Amino acid sequence: MLTIRGFSKSYKGGKKAVHNLNLTVEQGDIYGFIGHNGAGKTTTIRAVVGVMDFEEGEIEIDGISMKKDPLACKSRIAYIPDNPDLYDHLTGIQYLNFIGDLFNVSRKDRELLIAKYADAFQLTPHLGDLISGYSHGMKQKLAIISALIHKPKLLVLDEPFVGLDPKAAHTLKTIMAEVCREGSAIFFSTHVLDTAEKLCNKIAIIKEGRLISEGRTEDVKGENSLEDVFMELIDHG
Amino acid sequence: MVNIWRLTKLQLISTFGFNKALHTRDAKERRKLLLLSIALLLGVLMIAVFSFGYSYAMATAFEQIGRLDLLLAIMMAVTSAVGFFTTVYKAGGVLFSYKDYDLLMSLPVKTSHVVASRVLQLYVLNLFFTLMVMLPAGAVYALKVRPEAYYYLLFVPLLLCIPLIPIIAATVIGALISWFSSRFRASRMINLVLTLLFVIALILGSFTLDGNEPELADLGTGLAETIFKLYPLTELYVDAVSAYRMDAFLLFILLSVLAFVVFCTVLGTRYKAIHTGLTTSRAGGKYTMQPLKASTAFQALYRKELRRYFSSSNYVLNTGIGMVLLLIMSVSLLFTSPEQLGQLADIPQLQRYLNTLAPLFVSLFVALSCTTSSSISLEGNNLWILRSSPVPKHIILLSKVAVNLTITVPITVVSCVLLMISLGTGWADSLLLFMIPVIYACYTALMGIIVNLKLPKLEWTNEVQVVKQSAAVLVAMLLGFISLIIPAGLSFVLTSVDGRVIMLGAGIILAGLCAGMYRYLKNAGERLFLGL
Repeated sequence: MLTIRGFSKSYKGGKKAVHNLNLTVEQGDIYGFIGHNGAGKTTTIRAVVGVMDFEEGEIEIDGISMKKDPLACKSRIAYIPDNPDLYDHLTGIQYLNFIGDLFNVSRKDRELLIAKYADAFQLTPHLGDLISGYSHGMKQKLAIISALIHKPKLLVLDEPFVGLDPKAAHTLKTIMAEVCREGSAIFFSTHVLDTAEKLCNKIAIIKEGRLISEGRTEDVKGENSLEDVFMELIDHG
Repeated sequence: MVNIWRLTKLQLISTFGFNKALHTRDAKERRKLLLLSIALLLGVLMIAVFSFGYSYAMATAFEQIGRLDLLLAIMMAVTSAVGFFTTVYKAGGVLFSYKDYDLLMSLPVKTSHVVASRVLQLYVLNLFFTLMVMLPAGAVYALKVRPEAYYYLLFVPLLLCIPLIPIIAATVIGALISWFSSRFRASRMINLVLTLLFVIALILGSFTLDGNEPELADLGTGLAETIFKLYPLTELYVDAVSAYRMDAFLLFILLSVLAFVVFCTVLGTRYKAIHTGLTTSRAGGKYTMQPLKASTAFQALYRKELRRYFSSSNYVLNTGIGMVLLLIMSVSLLFTSPEQLGQLADIPQLQRYLNTLAPLFVSLFVALSCTTSSSISLEGNNLWILRSSPVPKHIILLSKVAVNLTITVPITVVSCVLLMISLGTGWADSLLLFMIPVIYACYTALMGIIVNLKLPKLEWTNEVQVVKQSAAVLVAMLLGFISLIIPAGLSFVLTSVDGRVIMLGAGIILAGLCAGMYRYLKNAGERLFLGL
């Protein structure tokens, strides 16, 4: 579903943020992408979803090159950044309808899916309110619903659990498992190692722009906890 | 006091994006800063030269009647009026609509000091204009009068005080409108409507004043009395600077500083309540799913952009005021014959100029109503939504162009029809009067979006920084004016050529430019948008 081959990204001034990164996310995978602050997670994610230009390497979504056909790639992806700033001047339902229009979701499908996910996140009564009046958690929920209503093949989430209350976090985990069972894949970054360990079937650890460990979760962590492995790799890897 | 300066400095360094350009390692950003600085310097020089020339011409007239002090009075009154007018519709925005409110208010700083820093931001920007106008005027006065050294000692400190009272007056009105609006649920809309009504009342009021003003031929005591009556501080200023009266000098400074201190202290007591009222939307929490309407990506983007436009009073007031002015003028021309208008404006051949230049006159207001030059910058932190969407980026850009045309074209067409009636234009003039402003509307909208793509300002804390002070807005306005000045200048210079031919030529060239810009957006829009 997602293939990254030899991806490198240098910022102005020559500093390499990501160096020769290779990974593959397959259909049905919940793929955790972990690393300390400034390790290169967000840079990689931004390149994967096509909001950041890159020169070196290749990124393919569902076999389509992000460089050659970005629109086809983007129509298969849902992206939620770490701090989703949404249009404050729209109401929740106006925003969801707007996203539905951009992703060409049929009227029937969007009504069905908005009702389903808004109910799951207990956001339906607030959909008529302006987003400017939403709390951080409510904005996060709205961003998640907007990501789900166009049935993406690949969900790319940057720190999706930040700001969610425990019930909403549980709902999101359930939905993540559900969409992957239905054939989608999820690639997400997190600092919550406990969640990553329980939720992900694959894990990649990035340090200073280089992948230092990658594979099936049980292979990466072995007999230890993910936290122990992560600390060991970050300190001595 | 030191906190006021710290907060003011914080706001000012982000203005025009200078700080970003100064600290970036990106050579392109630095080049942009250099070009922007040169453009700004040229603008400053142009205004200063114009002010010097205008002051010199006036001084020559005043010299004959022995009232050179009127030069300082008029220029000071004009500076104050411009300061008041340009501040009144952005005061509410600068005072209350900024993103870092929570951060600032959580700091151990007095509320009145936060208010003071917001007012000082307006003050510093107005001070630049005051210096550009008053320094040349003061120099002309000094050249003609050869005053004593006192003049310079009194002139310079008062220069710093001139913008204070007009700004305070404008911010009082802005704050009162904000305070009143904050008590209603639809506070933003009420704020917008009230500010717009106030500006319209101000324009209509100034028309009435024009009618009562003495003509230039009756210069002297009559003119002095009119100016002093309109703005009493002018008399105090003239007494201080040209008559070297220390009491007037001290009173002027005292009044200016007192107005500033009292305003900041009083507003400081109600500041949080007003801000809360303005920014808190009442959550209904009663929504039930309704049938939704699906539309194309372009329609969805257009609707979103239109909602964005009308959700921001700063955006509407700064870009829509030209259209409001155009409509008022067109309607008022129905009741005033061009001859009467010529007498009123003291331009005897106004009828002839109006018939020839009416398309450019209308286009001037169109050029003032460029919403696209700030539309990308206003996306700010929301830009990720559009960048990650599976929509060709030129569609996004064209939806912004379409909103600009929605703001300008309908009012332009109505105004042109009104002008056709009031000016009694023939078929050729009518056709030009209809076509040229519409072409200018397309040119302004397309040029604005390209300029904003090249000069984006995505990091901002206050919308006013984008819609009023960003480099893209200044450059787009400059390009708009240049495109108007060239055909207008040619009409005056090439007197042997029919003005309509020049208009037609300008229309064809601009239409060609529009076609070129449209193609450029279609071909390079994707790359430029993703490069933001």
